[in-house]
Amino acid sequence: MEFTFDNNIPIYIQLLEYMKIYLISGVFKCGEKLPSVRELSGLFKVNPNTMQKALAELESTSLIYTERTYGKYVTEDRELIEKLKDEYANTLAKSYFEGMKRIGLGKADSIKYLEGIDE
Amino acid sequence: MLIKLLKYDLKYMLKNMSAFYILSVFFAITTRIFFNIEQSVIVKIIGQISLGCMISMIVSVLINTMMRSWVRFRSSLYKDEAYLTHTLPVTKNELYNSKFILTFIFFFVSFAVILLSLFIAYYSKAAWQAITDYIKVITTGLNMSTFFFVLIALIVIFLEVFNAIQCGFLGIILGHKMNSGKVGFSVLFGFIVYLVAQTLVLGLVFIYALFDNTVMGLFKTATVNIDVNAFKVLAILSSALYIAIITVMRIICKKILNRGVDIE
Amino acid sequence: MNNMELLEIKNLRKTFDGKEILKDINLSITGGKIIGLLGKNGAGKTTLIKLINDLLTPTDGEILINGKKIGVQTKKVVSYLPERTYLNKQMRVSEVIDYFSDFYDNFNADKAKRILEDLDLDTDSRLSKMSKGMQEKVQLVLVMSRSADLYILDEPLGGVDPATRDYILDTILSNFNENASVIISTHLISDIERILDEVIFIDKGRIILQSDADKLRKSENASIDEIFRRMFRC
Repeated sequence: MEFTFDNNIPIYIQLLEYMKIYLISGVFKCGEKLPSVRELSGLFKVNPNTMQKALAELESTSLIYTERTYGKYVTEDRELIEKLKDEYANTLAKSYFEGMKRIGLGKADSIKYLEGIDE
Repeated sequence: MLIKLLKYDLKYMLKNMSAFYILSVFFAITTRIFFNIEQSVIVKIIGQISLGCMISMIVSVLINTMMRSWVRFRSSLYKDEAYLTHTLPVTKNELYNSKFILTFIFFFVSFAVILLSLFIAYYSKAAWQAITDYIKVITTGLNMSTFFFVLIALIVIFLEVFNAIQCGFLGIILGHKMNSGKVGFSVLFGFIVYLVAQTLVLGLVFIYALFDNTVMGLFKTATVNIDVNAFKVLAILSSALYIAIITVMRIICKKILNRGVDIE
Repeated sequence: MNNMELLEIKNLRKTFDGKEILKDINLSITGGKIIGLLGKNGAGKTTLIKLINDLLTPTDGEILINGKKIGVQTKKVVSYLPERTYLNKQMRVSEVIDYFSDFYDNFNADKAKRILEDLDLDTDSRLSKMSKGMQEKVQLVLVMSRSADLYILDEPLGGVDPATRDYILDTILSNFNENASVIISTHLISDIERILDEVIFIDKGRIILQSDADKLRKSENASIDEIFRRMFRC
């Protein structure tokens, strides 16, 4: 996967978003050990310090935690992740309906369009 | 680190000089061959050409030894390569000494190659006899041993050559220091330094001669009638002066280098 | 080591023929960071870098690396990429590798060979037979294959294609060790700003600003590139 970054927004905030999506989608599973900062920064092709900052931010929201000397782990609190997933899903759904509303389509019509999409 | 620097300097010089060395010896051999087989016009002409080539190669060896050592000094201390040279973990003294020793070594090598070429081209019992006889005439006239005479001659030649090289180095350093490294100024400064050094030696010998009549005799007479002692004194005195001047120039070079460079 | 400044510059001035190129530069840089030295052409970036590398002599002021004045000890820990090709063109790449191995204790020849292979650069070819771009790549590989404390890269992205640019940035990111810092000078800010921890703006021989990159983005709500443009209107 190619990661693109918008230079107008602090890089660590964008990294935070990418990491959250990885947590929600289960790329990094509950209770699992995270790759090292260096490995992660290699994955995203960013400065290790910036990666560190993003991880610190994740840690402050308890999504990950540090086991001293062993490294960083994804939280075991499944609910926390689910809650995050819920938030993201809500935001995405909202923005979809808002977009549809702008071109004059109501909720019922919008859902019809959704059903028409082949997955 | 000096040894490592020298290793790469030697490699560079060898790469650039070996062609001249090989050609010089090669033409010496052909000269020898074509002058020794039976005499037809064609062979004679080829022999002459070989001889000409050998002589021009010998001249090239001489000129290139000096020019290359200057070029190497300038390119590694002041041109693009200086970006590497001055960022190596070595002292400025080591950089300077490496170049100095390099030139020293290559003058010996070049000198040996030239002698070898001449030896190959010309050696015969008769020629050797002629040379030794000639030296004997001089040495008996001067009342000294052949060994001593050759030694003094060699020392003077090498000192003269060193003086020239050192003047070149100092000229390059001064030229760079004062005129942001334009080649013309380096050459000009080198030449000026050389003239100053020569005048200084001559001047000091002359001043000495004012107090020593036998040496003064050398300045006054144009005859072959050389006073033995005067010759010895002159040889030792001028050698000592050369060594002193070379040392002073060396100190100046190092002082300037150690104060730091400004690479364009 | 951690408490000491990696690079400290105090009241540095440099004049050429009476013209002041650098005016009273004060700067300190700690370990473990990637720092962008950003400025227009002729702002004094290269002059500053050359002073740190002993290629120029300060008119005034002091430069300390790990607390030491510039000399043999500091040159051991600084790995410098000039903005020009500077290797003896008669040499083969393999010979240059030997050269670096001879002079730098912290040079990793195997690593250099590995990266050169990744880049499809033949170690048997002479530098004179390579294009300028290839020579520049060889130089970058050599410089990044040292485990130094301070890497100084002067315009490493000048005139390279986007694919190579990405590779170069990756090479820089993956090859500097944790306590080391990297100073990258450039006027092509948007190309590199995503990897920078810190930025230093230099203009007309003065340091205008030194700041954390993300903090600056946040406070100005813009990219470094844009902040720079606004500041200097170029």
